[in-house]
Amino acid sequence: MTRAADDARILVIDDEPANLALVAAVLAREGYASVETVPDPRHAIDRYLAFRPDLVLLDLMMPGIDGYALLDRLRRLAVADDPVPIMVLTADTSIEARRRALALGARDIVTKPFDVFELGLRIANLVELRLLLERLYLAGKGTGGRGDDSGAC
Amino acid sequence: MNGHAIAGWWANRALATKGLVVVALPLLIFLGSVAVLFAISRMEAEAEQDVRLTIAIQTDINEVHALLAEASSGVRGYLLTGERRFLEPYQRAEDTLPALFAQLQAAIRDADAARRLARIEALAEQKRDGLTALLAAREGTGTLDQATIGDGLAANKRVLDALRAQIEGMQARERELLAARQDRLDRLRSGGLLATGILMLAGLGGSLFAVFLFSSGIVRRIQRLERDAVLLAQGDVLTGREDGRDEIGLLAERMGEASRLLRAREQALRDGEERFRLVIEGVRDYGIFALDTQGHVISWNTGAQRIKGWHSSEIMGCHFSVFYPGKDARSRSMRNLADAMREGRVEDEGWRVRKYGTRFWANVVITALYDETGALRGFSKVTRDITERRRAQEALEIARQEAETASAAKSLFLSRMSHELRTPLNAILGFAQLLELDRTANSPQDRGSIDHILRAGRHLLALIDEVLDIARIEAGKLGLEIAPVVLSAVMAEAAGLVRPQAEARGVTMICEAGGVPPIAADPRRLLQVLLNLLSNAIKYNRDGGTVVLRAQRVGGIVRIDVIDSGIGIDPEQAGQLFQPFTRLAAGAAGSEGTGLGLSLSRALVEAMAGAIGYAPRDDGRQGACFWIELPVSKTPLPAEFAQGDPASSAIVQPRAVTILLIEDNLANAQLIEAVIARHLPDARVLNAMQARIGLDLALQHRPDLVLLDLHLPDRDGDWVLEELRRTIPALPVILLTADALAAQADWAARGARAVLTKPIDVPALAGQLERALTEGVADE
Repeated sequence: MTRAADDARILVIDDEPANLALVAAVLAREGYASVETVPDPRHAIDRYLAFRPDLVLLDLMMPGIDGYALLDRLRRLAVADDPVPIMVLTADTSIEARRRALALGARDIVTKPFDVFELGLRIANLVELRLLLERLYLAGKGTGGRGDDSGAC
Repeated sequence: MNGHAIAGWWANRALATKGLVVVALPLLIFLGSVAVLFAISRMEAEAEQDVRLTIAIQTDINEVHALLAEASSGVRGYLLTGERRFLEPYQRAEDTLPALFAQLQAAIRDADAARRLARIEALAEQKRDGLTALLAAREGTGTLDQATIGDGLAANKRVLDALRAQIEGMQARERELLAARQDRLDRLRSGGLLATGILMLAGLGGSLFAVFLFSSGIVRRIQRLERDAVLLAQGDVLTGREDGRDEIGLLAERMGEASRLLRAREQALRDGEERFRLVIEGVRDYGIFALDTQGHVISWNTGAQRIKGWHSSEIMGCHFSVFYPGKDARSRSMRNLADAMREGRVEDEGWRVRKYGTRFWANVVITALYDETGALRGFSKVTRDITERRRAQEALEIARQEAETASAAKSLFLSRMSHELRTPLNAILGFAQLLELDRTANSPQDRGSIDHILRAGRHLLALIDEVLDIARIEAGKLGLEIAPVVLSAVMAEAAGLVRPQAEARGVTMICEAGGVPPIAADPRRLLQVLLNLLSNAIKYNRDGGTVVLRAQRVGGIVRIDVIDSGIGIDPEQAGQLFQPFTRLAAGAAGSEGTGLGLSLSRALVEAMAGAIGYAPRDDGRQGACFWIELPVSKTPLPAEFAQGDPASSAIVQPRAVTILLIEDNLANAQLIEAVIARHLPDARVLNAMQARIGLDLALQHRPDLVLLDLHLPDRDGDWVLEELRRTIPALPVILLTADALAAQADWAARGARAVLTKPIDVPALAGQLERALTEGVADE
């Protein structure tokens, strides 16, 4: 059961409505249909669990919440279930911020302001990664693996 | 004078000699006395013998006389009476006389007496013969006439008288002799007595003299030595002079030396101790004092008095726990002593009490003192009042914490500001980009507006980045990663990045980057600075001008020059170049830029311990020259830097490399050789004009790099490449071609390292050379 990349469900968490709208516009332009935006990070976990995304785009610097803690929690949820890549979007350009985010399990990090082309390409990469991981994961589950093998070819 | 000389001589004799003399002198005198006494006694005995002999001779002569007289009277009686009994004396004389005379002859030594004896003997013979004749006459006749008898008697009487006279004479002589001999004997006796007396005196004198010599030469001096030894034991200096050079003299001399040495040492010791005491006592900044084994104060110095307030007379004998504050002073102080005993030494810091109860922060060192036997003798204690220092440290600590807080606040502020500025800019630029992409939906007017939004937004972003960089540098938060950097690689990369900009304005880039040692810098930041300077040099150049980027070593630094051929910079304005937001009027019109580039560059270079500046061109031409100076790296290039990102690690080890150039165009070959000579002065270049020769050279010399022209007279360059791949797979090959389309073809798949199109771009060639050789080194 190979899914098209366009079917990938993408969760975007950012407290800044303009940026949220921008990312949504970029995703729409790239053809992703299932996009869920979360303007309030306090609802991020609930929405994640409800939406079951294939990819999370997370803004790190939001008022009232520690972005890194949220990243850590999201990543743990993802691993507990199945690996969901998380891309960090941040206006913090310091090398420490990049290292910390990557160390906490972010698959990619893009600094704001970003180039919309670059963002689109990086999202496509992670979606591809997610689909591959998913196939591998399902194959690894044993019984359901046969159909996937044929589909992979 | 003479006596002194003798005394001196005597004093200088060795003790053995002296002993011999002292013992031998009385002995010799004694032996002499014995000899003299013996001689005298012999002479006495001789004289006595003589006297006895004389007396015996006199006795014998008297006997001769008596015998003859008796014989004569006996004969006369016989003659007169005829009685035979009167002949008895005569008979006796006849028997005894010869023996008597023989005895006398043996005894008499005196010549005169001997002569008289001979005469007496003759007379006695005559007398005897006369008597014999008388007797014979009587016997013959039987009767003797009176006359004959009378004549015979008369003759006998005369002979007897003569004999008597002779005997008397002889006796007189013997008496004379006796008297003389007696006299001599007497003289000898008295002489012997005298000699004995003299000898006794001499013996006494000699012994006394020996005793004197012994006592003056030895005993007195030894007694003096003994007194000196007592003085020496008391530590006095011996001043007495000892003249003699014998053992005693030498001993005295040594003792004198020893006493002087002792005194000198004692003096030095006393001086040292005194100095030490003065030093200890005089020290004002340290309280130095001693404690006995129980902790009672037994010495005190000025510093202790100054710091603690007690005078030495007040504190002596007190227990040192009075210096400790609080109720547990005693137990804490004793704990310190116990620690010092266990560890040998204990250092403590804490509050202590002065005499009047005020406190001070003390640094205390207590050292246990042991003697040679290992027994505890007490403790030394050194106390410093470091209250001020502690206050200063506390103040410093507070200041440091404040500074850290401030720094943290500043970092937080920078981070926030970055976020707050970027976040809206993200939406502005992002939507503008989306609008720009959606070309069909926009009118041309809108497109112009969108372009303005994008440009203004990007300018703002650049400004924010540079402001934040400057702020980070000032806050020390830049996080530079200084490493050994091969400048030529960074320069080549910078030149490559600005190439499109240069080409747009027809500006020629000249990059001279070979032969400088690695420098200490952050390669990313250095690239940023070079890009800024190069982009300025292009921006403010004239169309079709040149930009020179070159590096050279000047002592312990490397200087990089960026020289343009623009209109240059007014010297009056040059001073403001590196100030923020100083965009000089000359180039401002129509030029993009934040106005922060040079000030950021300066901040970066200075953060890398370098310098940056502006100078007019030194060749007198129009244009500007910006220079950077950075230190030569002190650490060698790590081996792993030879791999990976070429911007930070394209490193050419200075070594002799061999480069094979297979190129049939002479002009191109010369150009390439010149480039190699400049960038790799140690490299050996082999040149081949034909493919086959080139291949042979490659196999023969195993070069480090091959530069291969694809168009060759005898065989195709591709053939050479294939052959090289087959025979020497590791050998890097750079292709040279005039065909731009061929350059785009699959050169990598065919095994070439890189491709360069003709006309040869010099910096690109240089960069490729270095890259290829570096990777070659890494491969090895």
